[in-house]
Amino acid sequence: MVGQLIVDGLATGLLLALPSLALTVVFGILKFPNFAIGATLTLGAYAAWVANTFLQLPLFAAGAVAALVVAAVCVLSDMLVFARLRDAGSIVLLVASMGLSLVLENICRFSFGNATRNFDVAIERPIRWHGLRISHEQLTSAVTVVVCVVLVQLVIYGSPLGRAMRATADNPTLAAVRGVERETIVRITWVLAGALLAIAGVLAGLDRAVDPLLGWSYQIPAFAAAILGGLGSPFGAVVGALVIGLAEELSVLVLPTNYRQAVSFAIILVLLLMRTQGLLGAKAVRR
Amino acid sequence: MNVAVPIPALSVRALRAGYPGGGDIVRGISVDLAPETILAVIGPNGSGKSSFVKTLAGLLRSREGSIEVTGKEVTNLSPARRVRAGLAYVPQEANVFRNLTIAENLKLAVEFLRGRSGVGPAQEAEVLAMFPEIARQPKVLAGNLSGGQRQMLAFACALVSNPEVLLLDEPTAGLSPKFVEETMQAVLRVRDAGVTVLLVEQNVAAALRFADEVMVLVAGRKSCHVAPSVLSGADLTDLFFGGASA
Repeated sequence: MVGQLIVDGLATGLLLALPSLALTVVFGILKFPNFAIGATLTLGAYAAWVANTFLQLPLFAAGAVAALVVAAVCVLSDMLVFARLRDAGSIVLLVASMGLSLVLENICRFSFGNATRNFDVAIERPIRWHGLRISHEQLTSAVTVVVCVVLVQLVIYGSPLGRAMRATADNPTLAAVRGVERETIVRITWVLAGALLAIAGVLAGLDRAVDPLLGWSYQIPAFAAAILGGLGSPFGAVVGALVIGLAEELSVLVLPTNYRQAVSFAIILVLLLMRTQGLLGAKAVRR
Repeated sequence: MNVAVPIPALSVRALRAGYPGGGDIVRGISVDLAPETILAVIGPNGSGKSSFVKTLAGLLRSREGSIEVTGKEVTNLSPARRVRAGLAYVPQEANVFRNLTIAENLKLAVEFLRGRSGVGPAQEAEVLAMFPEIARQPKVLAGNLSGGQRQMLAFACALVSNPEVLLLDEPTAGLSPKFVEETMQAVLRVRDAGVTVLLVEQNVAAALRFADEVMVLVAGRKSCHVAPSVLSGADLTDLFFGGASA
């Protein structure tokens, strides 16, 4: 039973990795916790569902379409909302992202109704391996997330763009006088976050079903994962997601199943009290 | 017969600037700076020295006036585009990316300067030869360097962009006397390499010793612009606090 819980925990953690990565990347550059990640993820799921069921595209292609659509929506929301509030401070941006979250969620609700939707994919029997049950959806998610995380790490730590992103996260004023256009980096960050959330939406829709509240199931755990890993640390976000996933699944050994979600809240609470910078985050220095 | 007048490396005309919602801090400053000279900008606290240099770098929006680098207008350009136009800036504090290595700091300084002439491996090698201590440890995180070493790295990052004009905001602030001397010697080497330097300096003794020209700012206005030898201690006290002009 513990082995199965560990497999399920890793699968849950991998599903959380992309939203928490998107959250931490945006936080690193723009210094605010984007509360709209859940709704953006939901939008990605619906965009992929439309491409998959109406345009008859295979799920992989539908995911690519969703990534493009959501990346464009993120850039547009930056231009219309966040860019105007750039110097207003993180609390104002957080509240604006809450508003954006409600707008996106209700666009999905008005456009597609409250009914749950499923992707047009063949249902296959789970794989049995040494007594463990692994579904095809879990395998698809794991491979997709690992590929995405590796690509993001390569971009951030091995490319001029990633260097510029890390430099902007470190000191935006200095980055500007080193020739880096901050607004360009901000837009690219939104494209990256949007694409990650759209792919997360597809995987979440595969794991459950697509409905207007899909993103809410991932919102608090993704925040907990990003905070646990250290907000602003991409690698930390992935580690945090795996820890949260495992903690949620293994908690059923000692807690009733319906308290599983409380694990994320408990982890956030403990971190805020004991180690505010998370596991891999740098300690904030007040100058 | 026409005599060719050399184009100033930096030409500032009637520059006014201030922070949003506030009054002018820089009040109508004009100055021309010949190529390959060091101009030290000195003045009492709150005289607008750092605001002046930030306005030149594009970090503070100018309200009136113009800024030209080797005859090219840069007044309305973003800070990043000013670097591409040949204007490099080293801030007083937080002048390197602490979470990036020395090599990454240097790489980043040239990666986004497409089309800027003279930027490349040859320039980088020339700059690193000026700062051997930095060149020796490329994989060290900039945040782990001493204050003096960080200042040298900041100079090197600015210089690999092959600037016409280098703006330095209080380069000796917080450094020990040994590093003050080293830093000012580095500024001389930069000037001798063909770069025009404008430095804001609180350390008046160092400024008068190393600069070719000195400009005194008082309450956001240019009080005088002379050779260092013209100013004596008594003159400075009078200029800083008596409001005299030269």
